[in-house]
Amino acid sequence: MQTGTKISLAGHGVLMGWAVFGGWFSAAPEAVQVQEVSVISAADFERLSQRPAAPVIAPEPAALSEPEQPVEVPQLNTTAETQVETSQPETVQTPAVEVPPETVPTPDPAPEVAPQPPEILDAPESSSIIAALPEPEQLRPAERVAPEPVAAPEPEVAIDDIVQPEVSTDVGAEAEQEAQEETAEEAASDRIVTEANEDEEAELEPAPVVSAPSTSLRPQVRPRRPQAPEQPTEVAEPLDDAESEAQDQASAIEDALAAAIAGGGEVEAPEPSGPPLTSGEKDALRVAVSKCWNVGSLSSDALRTTVEVSVTLSQDGKPDPGSIRMISSTGGSNSAAKQAYEAARRAIIRCGARGFQLPAEKYSQWREVVMTFNPEKMRIK
Amino acid sequence: MRSSSTSLAAGLMLVLAGLFAAASAQAQSGPLRIEITDGVIEPLPYAAPSFIADNAAAAELAREITRVVASDLSGTGLFREVPASAHISKVSDFNAPVRFADWKAVNAQALITGSVSAQGNQLTVRFRGYDVFAEKELGSGLQFNGTKEGWRRMAHKVADAIYSRITGESGYFDSRVVYVSETGPKNDRRKRLAIMDYDGANVQYLTDSSALVLAPRFSPTGDRVLYTSYESGFPQIHVLDVGRVQRRVLSADQGIMTFAPRFAPDGRTVVYSQTAGGNTDLFTMDIANGSRKRLTSAPSIETAPSFSPDGSQIVFESDRSGSQQLYVMPASGGEARRISFGKGRYGTPVWSPRGDLIAFTKQSKGRFHIGVMRTDGSEERLLTASFLDEGPSWSPNGRVIMFTRETQGANGRALLYSVDILGRNLKPVRTPDGASDPAWSPLQK
Repeated sequence: MQTGTKISLAGHGVLMGWAVFGGWFSAAPEAVQVQEVSVISAADFERLSQRPAAPVIAPEPAALSEPEQPVEVPQLNTTAETQVETSQPETVQTPAVEVPPETVPTPDPAPEVAPQPPEILDAPESSSIIAALPEPEQLRPAERVAPEPVAAPEPEVAIDDIVQPEVSTDVGAEAEQEAQEETAEEAASDRIVTEANEDEEAELEPAPVVSAPSTSLRPQVRPRRPQAPEQPTEVAEPLDDAESEAQDQASAIEDALAAAIAGGGEVEAPEPSGPPLTSGEKDALRVAVSKCWNVGSLSSDALRTTVEVSVTLSQDGKPDPGSIRMISSTGGSNSAAKQAYEAARRAIIRCGARGFQLPAEKYSQWREVVMTFNPEKMRIK
Repeated sequence: MRSSSTSLAAGLMLVLAGLFAAASAQAQSGPLRIEITDGVIEPLPYAAPSFIADNAAAAELAREITRVVASDLSGTGLFREVPASAHISKVSDFNAPVRFADWKAVNAQALITGSVSAQGNQLTVRFRGYDVFAEKELGSGLQFNGTKEGWRRMAHKVADAIYSRITGESGYFDSRVVYVSETGPKNDRRKRLAIMDYDGANVQYLTDSSALVLAPRFSPTGDRVLYTSYESGFPQIHVLDVGRVQRRVLSADQGIMTFAPRFAPDGRTVVYSQTAGGNTDLFTMDIANGSRKRLTSAPSIETAPSFSPDGSQIVFESDRSGSQQLYVMPASGGEARRISFGKGRYGTPVWSPRGDLIAFTKQSKGRFHIGVMRTDGSEERLLTASFLDEGPSWSPNGRVIMFTRETQGANGRALLYSVDILGRNLKPVRTPDGASDPAWSPLQK
């Protein structure tokens, strides 16, 4: 017998068995639920289905009637918070809608001002009313607490169309940096330190060692020229060779150690240090000297002579007359240069008699000044 | 694309930062450096307290000398006297130390002290100059000895020394001016030669007014004067000895007009114009032997020649181009090059004693100007403008120009004016009568 025939016989057998014995396993029939109904008349149905009439609401909330009597604000002063706001006379005319409800144990503060419409089952004919109610402020432009309008809000930041370069434009920022050790501890803490327990915290924890610089580094300046060593005033007595050699070695080691501790070589305090003068500060000095630079009595030859004059200024900005000297001159004879220099010297001394106005904190920058007096423009005036 | 532009911007900023850092480092490495190109052009304030009279006989002269010194200096326009009423210090001893603070307080930048002593007819003047703000003496003190009659010259010499020490160039106060004195109405004007100090004092007349005289010119040493006279009926050149007031005719050729003479720097040669056969050309003449040499032969009019200080060139006016213009040629003659190209007519050129400028008269748009230009014609600068300005003459130091200004109308008169080469300090020169054709002498020895 072929397999297909077997499958067919089995299938038909199952089918016939289900047809013969299937009824034996059927569930009990469901109980029929019967509900009693009452018959009403058409008039009653019409009466029951009639909706309640919606209240008439003015389309403009601002036209709502104001309370005839001022609200008895003192009665609302149940909390300190409300006292501040409501005790102001200006707020008397203001509906109490701004009073927080939790602090005002009064009935609905706005029944007379803005009666709540009854529950609306269907959408009203005028939907604008519903939209306007949540924003009463916009509907009361005249009466506000502040008598003066507040400042206009800042305009929103507009996104620039021009693409700016990224902030971190340093070349080093794009290059891969070498791993570095942490130079400063994290600032975050697991405890909140207040003024009350600041001292306790200070006692508990040692002060963190901050290795980050507090100020930016100043650029190095040219060190002073090494001065000739002074002649020894005392001549050491000659020692034995061995003792002398040992002493030399010891002193050499000490010197090396001192040099290493000092950071390599003695560098005297730089002379011009600190930030340089700004162009404005330089201009002020230039203008101050120009006011006294009188070339009216100079010869035409001297008017073709440019002189460089150096001067030392004291801390109060006054020039030291003895320090004024001509460094160089161009364009004229020696006689002309002398006259040009004397006119320049007069200008420095005269206008510096009360001290040039220069920033005192930058004194090292302007202690020595070299002024170039170029009369080219004055020659054609 | 954006990445590349960002990198470019970063690089640019880095370069700029590097440059800024380098500039800052450089600025910090040395003294502060500033350049001053704007100043003021004002008279320099000075104080000249009255010179001390060493004896009673010198009291009046001491005051007079002080006033002349102050007048000389203030008259230049380069100096301004601090009035005596503002003085705090009183100088009572010529050798006492100067209290500079008192003079600084009145903003006197220069101080002149002096003393005068008189013994008989002899006069001695001593003076010192100080740079007040530098608190040092301007050079060393000087002393002049002379006669009482020459007190004005001594005062001028003091002023010259002060002027020279402050400005760096020589003065011009001890100099004289020869000019044509004019009297009478325009239709009957009488002219004669006169000589005076540069400031109009000590006027002396060198000729009478019987004949028309024109264009006097000093010799380089100031002892002789060339001028043109119509004594014979037509213009002829005369030379006059100033000291002895003796004159003679330099060119006595009948029928030949000679005019516009001027000495060569060596004082032995005269360049002038000569008109013969209807043509005017330039000639030179040796004063000693009278030999002449023609410099130009163009059919046009060449006149108003003036030597350069080194005697190598001559500037003159000519209408060879159709209008009156300035030309420069070698002193021995030869090809001339035109140096004036502006609109208008140029005339009466005069070479500066310094040799750097040429003064001239310019007529343009109905007005006359005195101007200066470089010897190549560049940097032309007009100093004056009026109805009639003409005939410039240089001061000995080349700083001031004196000229004739004539006013308009039937009653108009000619006067002398002076102006400095920057166009400042235009002022009349005091003369007793009308004056024209000034010629400035060199500094007197």
